[in-house]
Amino acid sequence: MRVEYINPFVEAAYNVLKEVLNTEVHRGELYLKSTSMPVLGVAAIVGLAGDVEGRVLFDMTRQTAIQVASTMLAGMEMEPISDLNDMGKASITELANMITGQAVTKLHNLGFKFDLTPPALFTGENMEVTDADVEALIVPMELPQGKLEINVAIRERA
Amino acid sequence: MKTKQDFPNINERTAQGLSPEGTPYRVLVVDDSMFVTKQISQILTSEGFDVVGTAANGQEGLEKYKELFPNVDLVTMDITMPTMDGVTALEKIREFDGNACVVMISALGKQDLVKKSLMAGAKNYIVKPLDRKKVLERILMSLKQ
Amino acid sequence: MKWNNEENEKPSSANVRTAQRQGFSTLAAAYAGEAEAEDRETEEREKIDFKMVTFALAGKDYGIDIMKVKEIAKYGNFTYVPNTPPFVTGVYNLRGDIISVIDLRKMFNLPAPQKAQGEAQDGLILRLESNLIGVVVDHIDRVVGIASTNIQPPHPIFADINIKYISGVVEQEGRLYIILDVERIFQREEEKNEPPAVRLTTAQPEPAAQPSVPTPSAPASETEFDFVRESLSTFDVFHVTDINEQWARERFEQWRSSRKTAGKPIQLSTHEEARDFVKSFTSECTGAFWDENYLEKVEKVLPEVNVGTVHVWNPGCGQGFESYSLAVLLKRHYPDKQIKIWASDRDLLSISTAPNLVFPRNSIPDYYADFIVEGTNGMSFGEEVKDAILFEYHDVLHPNAIPEVDIILSRDVLSFLKESDQRQVLTQFHEKVKSSGVVISGKHELLDTLDGWDRVKSGLTAFRKA
Repeated sequence: MRVEYINPFVEAAYNVLKEVLNTEVHRGELYLKSTSMPVLGVAAIVGLAGDVEGRVLFDMTRQTAIQVASTMLAGMEMEPISDLNDMGKASITELANMITGQAVTKLHNLGFKFDLTPPALFTGENMEVTDADVEALIVPMELPQGKLEINVAIRERA
Repeated sequence: MKTKQDFPNINERTAQGLSPEGTPYRVLVVDDSMFVTKQISQILTSEGFDVVGTAANGQEGLEKYKELFPNVDLVTMDITMPTMDGVTALEKIREFDGNACVVMISALGKQDLVKKSLMAGAKNYIVKPLDRKKVLERILMSLKQ
Repeated sequence: MKWNNEENEKPSSANVRTAQRQGFSTLAAAYAGEAEAEDRETEEREKIDFKMVTFALAGKDYGIDIMKVKEIAKYGNFTYVPNTPPFVTGVYNLRGDIISVIDLRKMFNLPAPQKAQGEAQDGLILRLESNLIGVVVDHIDRVVGIASTNIQPPHPIFADINIKYISGVVEQEGRLYIILDVERIFQREEEKNEPPAVRLTTAQPEPAAQPSVPTPSAPASETEFDFVRESLSTFDVFHVTDINEQWARERFEQWRSSRKTAGKPIQLSTHEEARDFVKSFTSECTGAFWDENYLEKVEKVLPEVNVGTVHVWNPGCGQGFESYSLAVLLKRHYPDKQIKIWASDRDLLSISTAPNLVFPRNSIPDYYADFIVEGTNGMSFGEEVKDAILFEYHDVLHPNAIPEVDIILSRDVLSFLKESDQRQVLTQFHEKVKSSGVVISGKHELLDTLDGWDRVKSGLTAFRKA
């Protein structure tokens, strides 16, 4: 992945998670993965278009998703949820949207014109993601609610 | 002799969502995320605004605006939505009603988008994550214009 | 991209079944009464028809079909065998049978607790279709009986180890066991490496406390070289193969005499010693801008380009000094052509500074003067040069979209990859470089020792497709 794309995603993830969850967030070491199949159970995906093609995938366990959503809902004076209902899913996709949006904004300021698509959410039992072989950058984030892996796969348009 | 009644109660705060006449401002919330719709609605209603309608994409937003017209004081408009995006919807609403008061709310803060929206007639542009204070400030600022 | 998704959730009873299947006791506990009663009922109804020996690997529970387990063992001293992959711990004398012993933790890249030299390790002797094999684990638990109908297919969630080695997962008394398909695991290894047992039987059948000799008549120094070679690979510091063997042997002679003089042992026992051994390998002008001398040498091997753009692949570019050096050389050599360089490295720290490389004026030869600009923190390259290079954080072993190229610049990269990876990358080089193109490797990397490559006569290690 192009070096200049890395920091915007890392910073956006840190800033948005910190602000939205109102908590300390710790970033693990970045690394590269040769296939981009999500593994933890719940995945929110935001597509990227424009100068590049690709997508950003937010991977976490169901429990983490439930707890993150509950934290976000608490900010709107709503009760925590015990399972991932429609509102819970909307919370997770909105989080994915905000992180990707901030990253795309930063990239725009650096001269890279990206666009993003509306996010989608996929859950464990019925998940079958087949990307053509794509290398992905993994940004692991440690939250009090559990681990969130941000998986970015971007291909330059020739 | 001045009594307590002559001084305004410093603990009394007027709800920010009420117009000078005392009636609540009427808001149409357009966003494809039920989370964001709920978030904006919650911030507004807690300050006395009246959320008169919601829509999940630009097309729906435009139709709702026409339906409710002229009983909408403000529209909050997301940008990234399916079917019809927020900037297109903004243009069409402004075409329909030249006095429409629309505030963009988006996760994207790209300079060219902001410029484009403002030039198409948006009164303000709020970047997510949403902060209660920021949202109220900007919305009131837009309504007063 | 193809997606299969169902965003509509089914009601909670489905979630309970899901929770039980996936062994997430927390979710199951949430529906406690209902779930446990269901559990007990099913157990009474189902027959136990599958028994497995359970054990732990890096904190997770695994199981192997008891029919595949010959016996449980505690291994004392292994006999170290050279020229085997790092997860082959050694060989073991099982009452006369010589069997290979594999450390499953090392094989699956899981953390293994350090055990003192000589301290016994837990293991199993497996009876596979074709032979016996020993495995080392963290510790053996017990034999567990289950109903085979409860075995669920593997799920990517259990991707600690490659999913193709898992025949299924099953939950028993609140614990989740991953059942290993041992025939599958060891089938590939059999094909890849001749089991050391076979080699030993033809040479010396007696495993002793000292390392065994692979061929009885090999001279002592050849063995010593083999051991050094093996250590370099095991420490993952350097991998000796055909392309760098000449340098490795020369270096070994040098190393041997200097160590003997200093009264130090020849064998490499620490990471640091391994790195020391390899210090003299690096090519000239590494980590610095190319000097006039080197630039001249490279210019001599530049290929003819008949189209409007010169394409270059530069994997392992480090901080980018060589990428920038080449970019300027190409701009001067092909003044009317566009230059496109794909530069990459898997060391994030090094490559992250490459796109905006800043350096003091006196650190760069005058050759580059026309292409550099002054900034607030020092000198950097002008837009013209920066636009020519795309720096990526990328692992050359992973998929990429590099087109056919005129030049591949990859110095001192291959030798640091293990043998199978070297082959994979060289195959890619062969595919991607044009017939008229050239591959520039490290000073001591001779690609023409392999079929498919010819050397370009020059003062450099430059090669063409044969």
